[in-house]
Amino acid sequence: MSFIHLHVHSYYSFLDGVAGPADLVERARHFGMPALALTDHNRLTGAIRFYDAAKKSGIKPIIGAEVDIEGSFHLTLLCKDQAGYSNLCRLLTAMHCSKQRAGPTATRGLLAAHHSGLIALSGCRRGEIPSLLCKGDRRGAALASGFYREAFGDDFFIELTRHPAREGAPLCYLLSDFARGQGIPAVATNNVHHITMRDYRVRELLNAIGLIMPVAHLPEPRTVEQYFKSPAEMQRLFKDFPGAADMSLEIASRCNLELELGRSRFPKFDLPAGQSAAGFLRRLAMSGAERKYGTLTPGLSARLEMELTTIGTLGFCGYFLVVWDIVRWARERGIRCQARGSAVDSLVVYVLDISTADPVHYDLLFERFMHPLRNEPPDIDLDVDRRRRNEVRDYICQKYGAENVSCVATINTYLARGAIRDAGKALQVPQPVIEEACKGIHWLSASKLIEKAQTLPELKDSTVYKRPELKEFFRLCAAIDHFPRHLSVHLGGLLIGDGRLSDLVPLEPSSGGDIISQYDKDDIERLGLVKMDLLALPTITVIEQAVRSIKGNRGIDIDIDRIPRDDPAPFAMLREGKTIGVFQLESPAQREMAGRLLPRDFDDIIISLSLVRPGPLKSSMDKTYLARRHGQEQVSYLHPELEGALGETLGVILYQEQVLRVAHDLAGMSYAGADGFRRAMTHDRTQEEMDKMRISFINNAMRKGVKRGVAEEVFGQLAAFAAYGFCKAHAAAYAVLSYQTLWLKCHYPAEFFAAVLSNQPMGYYPPRVLAAEARRSGAAILPPDVNKSTDLYTVEGDAIRVSLSQVKGISREAVASIIQRRGEAGFTSLRDFVLRVEASQPVIENLTRVGALDAFGSRGEMLAELPGLLQLKRRKAGAGMDLQYHEIAAACGAFDSQAAKQSSSPCHREPEGRGNLSAASRLLRHCVPRNDIFVRTDPGTKERLLAERELLSLDLSAHPLDFCNLEDGFIRIKDLPALPTGQVVKIAGSVIRYQTPPTRTGKRVVYIIMEDGSGVADVTVFSDVQEKCGSVLFRTAWLEVRGKIQRRGPKSLSIIADELRPLKTR
Amino acid sequence: MSRYINEPITVHVNQELRPTAFIWRKRLYRISEILTWWREAADWWNGEPVKMLIRVTTERSGPATFELCRHGADWSLHRLLD
Repeated sequence: MSFIHLHVHSYYSFLDGVAGPADLVERARHFGMPALALTDHNRLTGAIRFYDAAKKSGIKPIIGAEVDIEGSFHLTLLCKDQAGYSNLCRLLTAMHCSKQRAGPTATRGLLAAHHSGLIALSGCRRGEIPSLLCKGDRRGAALASGFYREAFGDDFFIELTRHPAREGAPLCYLLSDFARGQGIPAVATNNVHHITMRDYRVRELLNAIGLIMPVAHLPEPRTVEQYFKSPAEMQRLFKDFPGAADMSLEIASRCNLELELGRSRFPKFDLPAGQSAAGFLRRLAMSGAERKYGTLTPGLSARLEMELTTIGTLGFCGYFLVVWDIVRWARERGIRCQARGSAVDSLVVYVLDISTADPVHYDLLFERFMHPLRNEPPDIDLDVDRRRRNEVRDYICQKYGAENVSCVATINTYLARGAIRDAGKALQVPQPVIEEACKGIHWLSASKLIEKAQTLPELKDSTVYKRPELKEFFRLCAAIDHFPRHLSVHLGGLLIGDGRLSDLVPLEPSSGGDIISQYDKDDIERLGLVKMDLLALPTITVIEQAVRSIKGNRGIDIDIDRIPRDDPAPFAMLREGKTIGVFQLESPAQREMAGRLLPRDFDDIIISLSLVRPGPLKSSMDKTYLARRHGQEQVSYLHPELEGALGETLGVILYQEQVLRVAHDLAGMSYAGADGFRRAMTHDRTQEEMDKMRISFINNAMRKGVKRGVAEEVFGQLAAFAAYGFCKAHAAAYAVLSYQTLWLKCHYPAEFFAAVLSNQPMGYYPPRVLAAEARRSGAAILPPDVNKSTDLYTVEGDAIRVSLSQVKGISREAVASIIQRRGEAGFTSLRDFVLRVEASQPVIENLTRVGALDAFGSRGEMLAELPGLLQLKRRKAGAGMDLQYHEIAAACGAFDSQAAKQSSSPCHREPEGRGNLSAASRLLRHCVPRNDIFVRTDPGTKERLLAERELLSLDLSAHPLDFCNLEDGFIRIKDLPALPTGQVVKIAGSVIRYQTPPTRTGKRVVYIIMEDGSGVADVTVFSDVQEKCGSVLFRTAWLEVRGKIQRRGPKSLSIIADELRPLKTR
Repeated sequence: MSRYINEPITVHVNQELRPTAFIWRKRLYRISEILTWWREAADWWNGEPVKMLIRVTTERSGPATFELCRHGADWSLHRLLD
């Protein structure tokens, strides 16, 4: 007695399934089922992991989908073979890409075109035939079955789903009779949506979330029966329908799809006539090497030869040419782009101009990137100027065909906050309860919420998690933890197929219109497709814009790739930790490291980027390295053979490349073998596997004369480090960008910050902090001006002019209209501006409130004048007439006392922003200027500041703390460096960011970045203070901190918090 | 013709947990046949468990059938069908 489920939904049915593919496979294994199908709604997103899990469990995977067809009906499709799989991919792609408002739908035409290799089951009760029979339309059902039989032939079956109910199972009998009458075989299914019966509640919760309705309003019929029933249960259920359950075995036997996973599928590169890929690549590499190095030394030639041979042997020449072509095309159009990651280890990549860091100079190992023993396609990731990334993408689409290129999908899943919000709405939990439950949650999974709410200081004082009536609610939130919510676009991943992509991957448009794969990056990798990360990196845009701005503003041509790397000024700035805005060096950890490391040259930047990583920090290697660096500890090696590998880092293992060198030098492994060793240690491995590796390493080392104890110790260090070490190639590539931005900030702060502010969001800090840093660097910030500002921040002398795009609510079109209409002469008055520019009243009001029209009069008067002007403009535009001066004047004078009242109202509006802005608004509402430690400001400044915060996200006129009536004894952040280590200080400011990086001990340490307008401070909160001040953590946007000044290096400074309080004013 | 009853009853079950008899309004009814059964989704958000409904005939009821309802550990006579 057996049965196979052929109609099964996983949670990749997106809000209509409760089980993961592996859970379903496990259930099938538990019941001894030889095969199992997965038929999610209109997608194959779970198919590859289902296939893998089933294969691993010795169960035959049957890939399929339940598709929506014309008439809002469902149809179950199963792949028999590779042709069926390709057809299903193409069908799903066509359904999604041609979808109208109603969602993806398969027309009969599409089904007829893509039937081959597919088995069709008539579907659930929403199938076409069941629906028609329910309505008594037997003739219609017969006509429909005629179509399906014509399309699918003997591979069409009537699907019987029996869910006992009060009225019995009439549909099942109707369908069975119909099948008998038509001579179509019938098969039993259960339309599985969850594993156990009890899980129907979770399924209904998901349905309610998907339908955006309360669970209590879910449409009937509801059923608890769609669970993973055992073969015995299914046989019992269908005992009145002889052969229906057994037919599932027959259908499963027809499904024999074997996916070819793991085989690399490279895009085809069009070669010049008569050239082979290997030959063409060699020619390009050789000419590139000569261009970069002049005469090739024997060492260079040998390395190039080795790399080209490896690339050729592995069959990757075409891939390198594809990447080379993309970079070449981009560079020819002035689009900056460069490789990052381990690809930078390759000399070929460097000489093809794909990367900017010389692997020979930095002693990088090609084998870290690629070697014959590594059975994976290479991965060359490119960083591209953000503003022009789509140009590059469009080129790739045009070159390889739009049907052969797509973006990679990311599967967005539930964490605690999302689960609470969505489940809360569906269960009609009061909004304040939802808000309270979400407050204080900082990257937490829903399944750990209740456990963590008992221990995490910021949660444990909240009563919401302890309320008995909410216990079930939180249990349900935990039940949907990590469930897929929706697909979105992977940040940079681009797929290039080796033929028609939709033969292998179903595609669909994202909500933004990009075509994305239904598979995520891991599944894409399993399929062997080449994913190219084309990451839009705003830093590259910043460099590009800053260089152009320097040229325009000062007439200085800068070749940013040739700036002197021994310039002492940028390094002096780096040592002071003045790196806000600098790529990769601006984080609190990096700023602190700069003060401890005291970088002197470019190589120190590579070291700094590599030191501030979980591995070195968790193993305290940073301390060892720094002690040796500053002569407080003697440099020593466990074995003299290690000096070659570890000499550059004073005996400390810092880079992944060094793991390879150590294994090579000490244990005599080849570099390829050593990389395999490194990779093996980075993945989950059993103790047995680990022991094997250790014994092999120690024996090899001992054969080279190394003592057992030394070999064991080195192995221990490698094992601890391998998983967390940094790829030096990546650090070297990023160090180039870090140094370039550091240099620009040091020498041209106005141009640099104008570019950084033009490219928000990027980096760690919000615009107001960046603007404050720009001011501290010597660049004044000028308010937006309709006659001077553009769509970007611009530089006027040594000052930065705020862009029009920064104004809240302004559209690109409105900005373009302002720039276009002002012409050479500019606007002369508010009237002139209003009449010539296409912008809405709220936008003009916003421009007025932030001072962009200050040249034309007082803000209050202009705001009062505006409605009349706009009304007249509308009236005249409607009549097709030109405006006469006297009419305008009349309109302007038309405002009376009522309008005069209105004149002040916009300035007194409550800010509508969220988070910090609202908090700033609340803060200011209760503050009065006072001659305190902060400056006194005029009364109008407060309103201006509110408008700036609300509408520009900037503090131009003042800082909110300027208005705070703080208690005595507060220190401004800029004054902290003058105070001695250990001094207890009190600071106040707004929270920029909370961080909880991994620590050596595993105990959570919270880092808070704060600012007070004078500078940025890094506050460290250890567990005892977290316990004491848990109610403040992650919840408060403005803080008072009391703590001790700590210096971990000559120039570093942070505050060890002793007490945190919400900022209060007297 | 069916009458909604919804009154608690005591049910005797055999080793396979199948109902064999029930007491309703102090009278014992021996179950002669289980005709059919099904489960119904409940308002679980109000704490209601899944209902299992069992339609039975009894030795003394002639053609009338009884709909017994099990919800959690409790039983009730849900309906009486003449």
